[in-house]
Amino acid sequence: MTPPPLLLTVNGRPRPLEGVPASERLIDTIRWRLGLKGTKDGCRTGDCGACTVLVDGVSTLSCLTLTHEVEGSSLSTIEGMAEDPVGRAVQEAFDRAGALQCGYCTPGFVVALVGLLRERGRAASVDELLADLGGNLCRCTGYLSIARAVALLQKEAP
Amino acid sequence: MSSLTFVTPASVDAAIAELRTGEPGEVAVLAGGTALLFALEGAKAAPRRVVSLRRLPWRTVDWNGPVLTVGSTLPLRSLERDPELATRHPGLFEAIRAVGSVQLRHRATLGGNLGRASPASDLIPVLLALDAEVEMVGPTGARSLPVDRFVLGSRRTALAPGELIRAVRFPEPRPSAYRWQRVRPANDISQIAVAAAFSPSAGSWRLAVGGIPPRGVRVPEAEAMLLSSRPTEAEIRGAAERAARHLTIATDRRASEEYRRHLVETLIERAVRAVVESPKGGR
Repeated sequence: MTPPPLLLTVNGRPRPLEGVPASERLIDTIRWRLGLKGTKDGCRTGDCGACTVLVDGVSTLSCLTLTHEVEGSSLSTIEGMAEDPVGRAVQEAFDRAGALQCGYCTPGFVVALVGLLRERGRAASVDELLADLGGNLCRCTGYLSIARAVALLQKEAP
Repeated sequence: MSSLTFVTPASVDAAIAELRTGEPGEVAVLAGGTALLFALEGAKAAPRRVVSLRRLPWRTVDWNGPVLTVGSTLPLRSLERDPELATRHPGLFEAIRAVGSVQLRHRATLGGNLGRASPASDLIPVLLALDAEVEMVGPTGARSLPVDRFVLGSRRTALAPGELIRAVRFPEPRPSAYRWQRVRPANDISQIAVAAAFSPSAGSWRLAVGGIPPRGVRVPEAEAMLLSSRPTEAEIRGAAERAARHLTIATDRRASEEYRRHLVETLIERAVRAVVESPKGGR
């Protein structure tokens, strides 16, 4: 019983996928089938946010999503952020604020923040954005510099 | 797990028919899927067929006079961002904000939370306090039940074989509040959570407590202590003490019985005061 091929648009490019089992998680499709290793595999239980990607523009835990469930969707991963004005601004803010240490949580934070800024834009206060990043963990505990990056962004919104 | 089949029925009738294609436990319903993934990998008797509800027309919010009807497969984040919700149902808004994280709420749904009927649900207490009605549809037609009679116990609901939750209906806007305690604000389970609401039509209070198995419960003994829409401090403290004394509470790995009783008391006081002090609270 061969599952039908499914189509995803990944960072703007159509990617038809053959033979994806019904049980495959989106994170495994992204990392192992598409070879995009920027999306990190942290807890696989939805606790850490490291696997955050945008599905049709909204932040989603790729570890708690079956690939078949997002068939036909448009996916943005950390690899696509440099091509996006908001994505670039967030990455530059993280750079300027030194908002990473080991870097493992960074793709998840960046993509989650891009999703929030797309939803809320300039209307969101720094405190609201930080509260809404509560689903992302940094095990180096570098939260202060991440908060600084968010503050930089909202002073100089893209 | 390799033999798992994934189907996306295009109509309600087709979805109901899909539910009857296997033995109980073999077919799993996917609304947002945030809880289902654990079931697929963890359980001894894992489901073999996943029925996704994503093509059903249930991602809706409908304000009709005082009545709010929320489609069962609407992502919680969409409900949270509805411009009317925070003012008309502040307790529901606060409870939704307590569920998981933004990323999780982009997929998780009200129907999924109710259907799962976890004792840790952050939504069941507030649904109790708002007298929510659960609308179901199944092989023999549609029916609805008050949430109190829908959730039967831990992971047990009144859903009959082949039935799906179609929507949840809230009869009237209520001054309401939701207060919780847990280790981590996001992505954690409340050790105790309290929903408080004042019903303008009934002229009485609803107090519901979550975080204690087997399921969220109302506390009528405590509700009866609140004598008006603007209860006195003595009434509020009396209600909180009574709830802390009356509830059946056990120790587990998240919190001791003693700490939980303390939390029930404190959070009831805070939730009731929040309702009274809210712009539309206490008249």
